[in-house]
Amino acid sequence: MNNPAASAPQERHRVVLEITVNGRPERLEIEPRQTLLEVLRDGLGLMGAKEGCGSGKCGACTVLLEGRPINSCILLAVQAQGAEVTTIEGLAKNGRPHPLQQAFVDKGAIQCGFCTPGMILTAKALLDKNPDPGPEEIEEHLSGNLCRCTGYSKIVEAVLSAAEEMKGGRS
Amino acid sequence: MRISGFEYHAPASLDEALGILSHLGPEARPLAGGTDLIPQMKHGLRPGCLVWLGNLAELKGLTWNRDEVRIGALTLHADLAGDRELQSRLPVLARAISLIGSWQIRNTATLGGNLCNASPAADSAGPLMALGSSVVLAGPGGEEEMPLGLFFQGPGETALRPGQLLKEVKVPLPHGPSAGCYLKLMRKKAVDLALLGVAVQASADESGSRLRSLSIGLGGLAPTPIRAGKAEAVLAGLSLDQARKALDQAVDLACGEISPIDDVRATASYRRTVARVYLGRGLNTVLDRLAGKEGEGLS
Amino acid sequence: MNREFSLIGRPTPYIDGLDKAMGRTRFVSDLVRPHMLHGAVLRSPHAHARILNIDPAKARALPGVRAVITFADTPGIKYGPRSEDWYILARDKALFHGHEVAAVAAVDLDTAARALELIEVEYEPLPAVIDPLEALEEGAPLVHPESGTNLAAEFKIESGEVDRSLDESHYVYQDRYYTNQVYQSYLEPMGALAQWDGQGRLELFAGTQIPNMMRMTYAKALGLAPDRIRVIVPDYGGAFGAKMEHNTHLIAALLAREADRPVRLFHSREEDFLAGNPRVPMYYDITLGLDKDGRLKAKDVTVTGAAGARLVYAQIIVATACYRVDSLYNFKHVRAKGLTAYTNTAPTSCFRGFGNSQGTFVLESALDMAARELRIDPAELRRINDLGPNSTSIHDWKINSNGLRECIDRATAAAGWEEKRRNKKPYKGIGLACCNHVSGNRPFAREFDGGAGIVRIGRDGRAKVFHGESDMGQGQKTVFALIAAERLGVPLEMVEVADVDTDMSPFGFGSFATRGTLMGGNGVLRAAENAFEQLAQVAADMLEANPLDLVCREGRWFVEGSPDTSLGWLEVTEEITLRRRGAPVVGTGFYEPPTVMPDPETKKGNISPAYPFACQVAQVEVDPETGQVKVVGFYAAHDVGRALNPLALEGQIQGGVAMGLGWTLTENMAYDPEGRLINNDFLDYVLPGFGDVPRIKPILVEPIEKEGPYGAKGIGEPALNPSMAAITNAIYDAVGVRVRELPVNPEKLLAEMEKLRKEKKGCVSGTQP
Repeated sequence: MNNPAASAPQERHRVVLEITVNGRPERLEIEPRQTLLEVLRDGLGLMGAKEGCGSGKCGACTVLLEGRPINSCILLAVQAQGAEVTTIEGLAKNGRPHPLQQAFVDKGAIQCGFCTPGMILTAKALLDKNPDPGPEEIEEHLSGNLCRCTGYSKIVEAVLSAAEEMKGGRS
Repeated sequence: MRISGFEYHAPASLDEALGILSHLGPEARPLAGGTDLIPQMKHGLRPGCLVWLGNLAELKGLTWNRDEVRIGALTLHADLAGDRELQSRLPVLARAISLIGSWQIRNTATLGGNLCNASPAADSAGPLMALGSSVVLAGPGGEEEMPLGLFFQGPGETALRPGQLLKEVKVPLPHGPSAGCYLKLMRKKAVDLALLGVAVQASADESGSRLRSLSIGLGGLAPTPIRAGKAEAVLAGLSLDQARKALDQAVDLACGEISPIDDVRATASYRRTVARVYLGRGLNTVLDRLAGKEGEGLS
Repeated sequence: MNREFSLIGRPTPYIDGLDKAMGRTRFVSDLVRPHMLHGAVLRSPHAHARILNIDPAKARALPGVRAVITFADTPGIKYGPRSEDWYILARDKALFHGHEVAAVAAVDLDTAARALELIEVEYEPLPAVIDPLEALEEGAPLVHPESGTNLAAEFKIESGEVDRSLDESHYVYQDRYYTNQVYQSYLEPMGALAQWDGQGRLELFAGTQIPNMMRMTYAKALGLAPDRIRVIVPDYGGAFGAKMEHNTHLIAALLAREADRPVRLFHSREEDFLAGNPRVPMYYDITLGLDKDGRLKAKDVTVTGAAGARLVYAQIIVATACYRVDSLYNFKHVRAKGLTAYTNTAPTSCFRGFGNSQGTFVLESALDMAARELRIDPAELRRINDLGPNSTSIHDWKINSNGLRECIDRATAAAGWEEKRRNKKPYKGIGLACCNHVSGNRPFAREFDGGAGIVRIGRDGRAKVFHGESDMGQGQKTVFALIAAERLGVPLEMVEVADVDTDMSPFGFGSFATRGTLMGGNGVLRAAENAFEQLAQVAADMLEANPLDLVCREGRWFVEGSPDTSLGWLEVTEEITLRRRGAPVVGTGFYEPPTVMPDPETKKGNISPAYPFACQVAQVEVDPETGQVKVVGFYAAHDVGRALNPLALEGQIQGGVAMGLGWTLTENMAYDPEGRLINNDFLDYVLPGFGDVPRIKPILVEPIEKEGPYGAKGIGEPALNPSMAAITNAIYDAVGVRVRELPVNPEKLLAEMEKLRKEKKGCVSGTQP
């Protein structure tokens, strides 16, 4: 079994994946060994989720699975069978950026931007859970997302500012 | 690295899962959250079949009884860390689990997966050991229960036999005044493996001034998570004041029971040094909490 | 806010920020092409090994494989950015763990990965040398035996009378420091998409800081004329110095040529750790003499750095570590020797700070020791030695603006320096460190230095800026747009900034040496000026006014002082385009800095048109029982010239400090005794995360720089340079232990603390009667 070529036929073993991505039902034939990240990027052309490390340690591949942030680079797509997935492309409503997206821009929380989609999605899940988090709670929840450019300060400010903005919008 | 092909099964029930596992034999690997298994497969691990357990609803969630809580092996870490009742009744466990990996990891990884990986430093293991937990294994021959201490056999090795699955963890509930504390040594504030973990759990008698029991679970300090039995024995039954005086002796005894290693994360000698410090801090914190010097439930 | 400007000086969100926030930005590794193949590289598992045999036959026979290349399939030309010791693939020896040995292109990554496993390589492992001091010892294994030594380069500089001055010094400090090898950890790994057109011309899409210089180097490597190569720089995910010339780009190019298909080849994170270009580790011996008033007398240093298995820019980095700090203060006598040694590790190269970070760490640590010894406030010690504005440093650097003193004053004031030092608490400490840097480095840019720009304005009025530098996320596009919009007098939304494309853009040297804003910005400013003048001619015609009297503000043309009679921006662009029969306005311009190539012997000469300065203050707490260090406060005052975009400047400062914090406390590339990297992932290479970085307080100090565009200087590297010493000086303040080796090791720190406690006890009991 160590001859890699010998395992090739097995890799053509395919299954049907039915998932909802950004509110749209999708039906794809995939291989069970494909990660959710591969299916989103290569199968659905949703390039917003990034591969920063491929092993669940940087958070750049973060998407929401049933509203919860997960590392899509270490989740088999079949593990998301039947589930609802939200990617960065699904956050805008009627073409208007989500308040977090706008706050990240306005507060200077983005530099190279490679970590940004994952960062914003994790922050969104946090605000869905707690609309009024303090800085420490933000740091705790976002600590699975690495950023090498910003030093994090402006990201925390952006999440606080978006939370404020969203509270205003609701009342 | 890319994941090699495998045969994939997604059973809908425990019985079906056990059937598939016994039919496929050792080629088959159960897949829970996959946060450890999938990265290993990306680095060349090639199991012939994966049996995904995510549809086994019966293995998810907490069941509270008078004397124990039963935690399904497939319960997500995030659900445990965020469980209000667990936070208030078994803070040592809720706290330790809240320190596992990142939020993303906790949203995927399961308690059963953490235990079955049998990492000597698994964050959930020390507190569960200190709480006197047992595990229920399901297999073709039925179920069997064993103390968690016997489940761990070595780094990456458990008592699971081929075809068996970890079904649930039973955690006895403390009665009367109790307190717990988990201290974890990391290289950064969050999202690191435990270089070592110290879990202390204690109960006092009704008066609150005498230890009924005190137990210490240690991670990352031996080939498996361990209990510091000799240290526990010295403290059991003492008044809180007596216990405070016996602390140094208890710490010495506990340090005699550990056998840490050198690796890229820390040296054995540093692990020894910090184990001593954390044991002292953990024991002091628990005694303080029992004495009401610090709000219970904080860990 | 400065009223003389409409845009400059306001906190301005990145013009490309929303695309990034929405997930719309296509990063270089997101690019796809029809029929694109996927590349993969076979790397040496040994740090040093003879390649006895390599057989790609089985890989070539695997269905789906379109190209397999080994050394035999490369041009076999020796090349390199500065020293020609590179081959695109290893020839007969693997020189480091991760060295490129062979490569494949296949229809998908899985097939490519399987093909790699089918390439049979027979290695004979050889003894490896990892440490630069050992590499220079007699009898060490030779990385390049043909040169007979591991000494890859030697740098010497001397000015004044060092020995005499040291003899005359009241206090002489001497010690050895070690700064370790760290990894840039940009979140998008390196790689490229390569394709060849029908005419045999290479198109290379790469995240690179130096598209134009890279093109020249690659032309040599491929045996082509530079015009046969087009480099395009899409958005990319960070660089911090690392993304310069790299074999991976050329491997992609060769695979694409062999397969006659576009090839995308990107490192996995593990590969990027193995074969990226991490920081040059250095041993740094310093002797520093001061008089009793704290005046610097003399400095003598020897730096020994590890280049890894081939020279990228390590030798220039070692040279920089030797002498750049000499222009931070008023030095009179300095001497330095820099030795760059080949080692069997990943080739080391540029990383934010470029040697000056190492030099700054050591000098600022030494000054902290001197301040204690001489009983002078460390802040005051720096003030005493400040060069001041309009000064000339020991190496003939012409310093125009110099905000060092204000940086010291404001950083210490913000941090409560004096109060905290008066009320010292056990295990809590406060420390400061300063730095200087450059905004461009004449000896690094070879034939000339400077910057150029093109501003194209079409009938629709939109202005498109072309430049030859590189935006890796630092906000360069935004600052160039600001400069152009300010000069033209239009709203920011009217300006866009093109990706660098060597077919379209000016020949810029790129983004390094903290030069982008000053050099590129000056080029863009002059190009905008040129476009403005062309437009002003026509607008003047239309307004029947003198073009020299015209201004344009917020898109309206009028005679200065008479805003009531005005023309809209579009009216003018429309008119000029019609008059010119469709030709757009193309403004070009360049900036020639007043720099010189330093004298080869004395190394004297002004290498940069402007010099940024900084002072950073850190507060730490040390756990007395575990030795763990927490940075609890950080104040970073930076002389940036005029702040063009305060929002981006703050972000650069906070990011630089966080990076310096990681280097100081946790980051380290660890090798096993055989020279294999053992922590090539983000678990065991420990980057600071959210909880590890305090809220960093940036302070912008703005002495207007006459050479800068609108008075600006650079920020990229000074943001990090002082951070390490600021933190370790705070540790010294907290526990009395001098950190001489990065990163801080809690176990060693604890042992030193223990030693001090014992000494103190011994001392106390010894003096008792």
